[in-house]
Amino acid sequence: MKLKTLACLVILFFISAVPADDKKAKEAYTVENIPMPEGLTSETGGIDFLPDGRLVACFIRGEVMIYNPKSRQWTLFAEGLHEPLGIMAVSNSEVLVMQRPELTRIKDTDGDGKADVYEKVTDDFGLSGNYHEFNYGPVKDKKGNLFIALNTASPGGAVRPEIRGKFNPLGRDLQTGLYEMYAVVPYRGWVMKVTPDGKLHPYASGMRSPNGLGFDQEGNLFVTDNQSDWVETSTLYHVKEGNFYGHPASLVWNKNWPAKNPFALPINELEQLRTKAAVLFPQGIMANSPSQPLCDVTAGKFGPFKGQLFIGEMNRDRIVRVMLEKVGGELQGACIPFIDGHGLRKGNNRLAFAPDGSLWVGQIAFGWSGDLGIQRIVYNGTPPADVYTMTLTKDGFDLSFTQPMNKTEAMNPDNYKFRHYYYKYQRKAKNEGADNSRQLDVQDVAITGIKLSSDQKKVSIKLSALKPGYVYELKLGNLSSKEGTPLANKLICYTLNKLLNN
Amino acid sequence: MFLIKRLIPLLFFFLQAMQLMAQGNDGVTEVTLKVMPGLQFDVVRFTVKPGALVKLSFTNTDDMSHNLLITKPGKRLAVVNAALQLEEKGPAMNYIPKSSDVLWSVPILSPEQTKSLSFKAPLQAGAYPYVCTYPGHGFVMYGVMYVNAEGKMPELKNDPNIPPARQEDKLADAGKHDMHHAHQQEMPKADHPYATVPPYLYRIFMEDASPAAIAVSLPQNLSYCWDAGVCRLRYAWKGGFVDNTALWKGHADATAKIIGTIFYRDKTTYPLRVGDPDAIPVTEYKGYRLVEKYPEFHYTLNGIDVYELILPKEDGKGLVRKFRIPDANKEVWFAANLHDEAVTYEASAGNWDHEKLRLNPQQAREFTLIMTSYPLVYSRKK
Repeated sequence: MKLKTLACLVILFFISAVPADDKKAKEAYTVENIPMPEGLTSETGGIDFLPDGRLVACFIRGEVMIYNPKSRQWTLFAEGLHEPLGIMAVSNSEVLVMQRPELTRIKDTDGDGKADVYEKVTDDFGLSGNYHEFNYGPVKDKKGNLFIALNTASPGGAVRPEIRGKFNPLGRDLQTGLYEMYAVVPYRGWVMKVTPDGKLHPYASGMRSPNGLGFDQEGNLFVTDNQSDWVETSTLYHVKEGNFYGHPASLVWNKNWPAKNPFALPINELEQLRTKAAVLFPQGIMANSPSQPLCDVTAGKFGPFKGQLFIGEMNRDRIVRVMLEKVGGELQGACIPFIDGHGLRKGNNRLAFAPDGSLWVGQIAFGWSGDLGIQRIVYNGTPPADVYTMTLTKDGFDLSFTQPMNKTEAMNPDNYKFRHYYYKYQRKAKNEGADNSRQLDVQDVAITGIKLSSDQKKVSIKLSALKPGYVYELKLGNLSSKEGTPLANKLICYTLNKLLNN
Repeated sequence: MFLIKRLIPLLFFFLQAMQLMAQGNDGVTEVTLKVMPGLQFDVVRFTVKPGALVKLSFTNTDDMSHNLLITKPGKRLAVVNAALQLEEKGPAMNYIPKSSDVLWSVPILSPEQTKSLSFKAPLQAGAYPYVCTYPGHGFVMYGVMYVNAEGKMPELKNDPNIPPARQEDKLADAGKHDMHHAHQQEMPKADHPYATVPPYLYRIFMEDASPAAIAVSLPQNLSYCWDAGVCRLRYAWKGGFVDNTALWKGHADATAKIIGTIFYRDKTTYPLRVGDPDAIPVTEYKGYRLVEKYPEFHYTLNGIDVYELILPKEDGKGLVRKFRIPDANKEVWFAANLHDEAVTYEASAGNWDHEKLRLNPQQAREFTLIMTSYPLVYSRKK
């Protein structure tokens, strides 16, 4: 009897084990942990690849380290930096690092593998000493300009007795705004441009916590920002020179700004000044702390999403994928989880593509929710069944998939649950949670028609109504490809700023 | 003074424990929970007796949104993950998943909002986790309710049911900290992938400096703070360099704690003058180069390049400051408050004129100042 049970268990084990392995082999993406150097507190501030294919990474306690993927060995390149939160490889012996007091050029000039020169590129911005004045970047445009972003200060912290830069109390609303993020030194809340001559130019304002800059293949600059006391959910901004993106504190550093309190402006006046996000990441649903946007320039090495943006998320085991389109002359589009539940950790702060096309992810917690270390996401060559793009039509949306889809499932309207809602631009009431985020006018949206293309790769969905200014959230049902691969990600949120016929 | 300082947290802990264990006249165990910055419950564990009536009062003292769920033993992570799986349904459900693993819950509270839960403690002894399931919080923001007749809890530092950071809670660690104060020269753990052998530096927030300070550790147990915000040496100390523990926690204002005794502070308006002994030059920080691991700072005074390298005096009683101004074409002055500083200066060139060392352009191209601290000399003799 006992023996029989055992035999059954053994047989069951083999029956279940074989398909599990098989399934794993068929997974489009797998996550690997990178061994970290002993003794390092691996709070990752930045990662990039050197021209020779080695990874260079900076960590919050000031180290810059180089990892050779072939030998799996780490070496120390530089040390002593102040909370570095961004790195860019210049050559095999030179990097740019964005640290707390400045953007710094770090070079190994004697060829011993360790940096000996730490040159200031720019420090032409203020420091109040508030712990929340983080600095991000740099990224480089095609003309050789560098872009960095400067975080606002937290009401949970103070201004130090001695500061760097001009002090402007109008950057903080002391009447009623003691709970708001503030900008009492230049250019907190700004994206800045560093021209090749080393001069720093104010570029765009209205950011709160712009922890992520990136360019797409067309040269558009994108910045992610954190949900805040004014903008109710986290955002991806398409950043253009001179524009204002919603958080009022930084307005005082606009050279044409009159000597008045920007916090006291009526909301409709600020609304008129403001440029809306290209994509909203619904709070608690898609992402709470999006980080760096990275364009897939791997030309297929990382799978089918060439030209789209991958964005780190700090609060859970997620990378978000963004697909954009131009509507009415402006970029807007959708976000969708790219990878969940595959062993990715939290705290996904920095991304970089290796020469082999794998996506490396550096993680951080630094007192918040997150994790430590570096992981690597590898495309196994098996195409995923996933939404490729979501695009707006005159009366609904087109969903195109990476593979031909099962016809019966794809044509079943029950597999598409739409709802819409919007986030109001408003000043947060005092004593409201800093991360409180209200979805307004949440309503299901009825589907009035479904069409599948002849190649079974595109589903056209007609909706009862389309309203600009809303997020269209789509929950997909049990869809699978023609060959039976289940859909990888089922929640997709389209930010509808403009209608097609406008 | 130190004793009192150390007793206060203990007393506080004791009072808190008393309050937590407070058994009202009606036999209800009252528990009060608040939120600390950095996604933490203030109290990470308490005990109740099986079947006891419990009134748990939760106040959100943070600036973010939080809920509170009490789960079955061992089910915290399952519940946290179930809350994440709610995806688009999460906000409307207060991120509280429908699950038999959730025993009791408080919905999302705004800052300064309080809500209470009254329940009868389970009859089965065990460790019942409580957790905030707002997305992202549940992995770090949790605690545990121990249910047992004896009121037992494991040793704090070995308690697997509380966040790891709280296992080293200062309150529980008071004895160890006494030791620490007794040996002030002892260095805190730096947690770098290399040994920190002087000279080395940290760019870091420091007291009495701009937010662009540089702390440099030298041999001979000497250290100094050079300020890149204003391009000058601010102060120097003898001892064990700095403790960055508070800074490296993140998420709150902090400065590096100096370990040792400050023996020198530059109290001049600015030490170097170019051309005019009374005019304070316009400075610009340029960076530094490591010369045998010692940083040589580079900055400009009215556009003229200055290089400053600071070495320890070999006997450990002061600093050797080497200046280079290769393009000096005017007289250079080095100002010091000779009359109210317990420091002696020895210059390799130039002449003292009142309180300023006067160097002709030729001399200014390269000169050394040896600063000897009289307090250090004196303490050595003692």
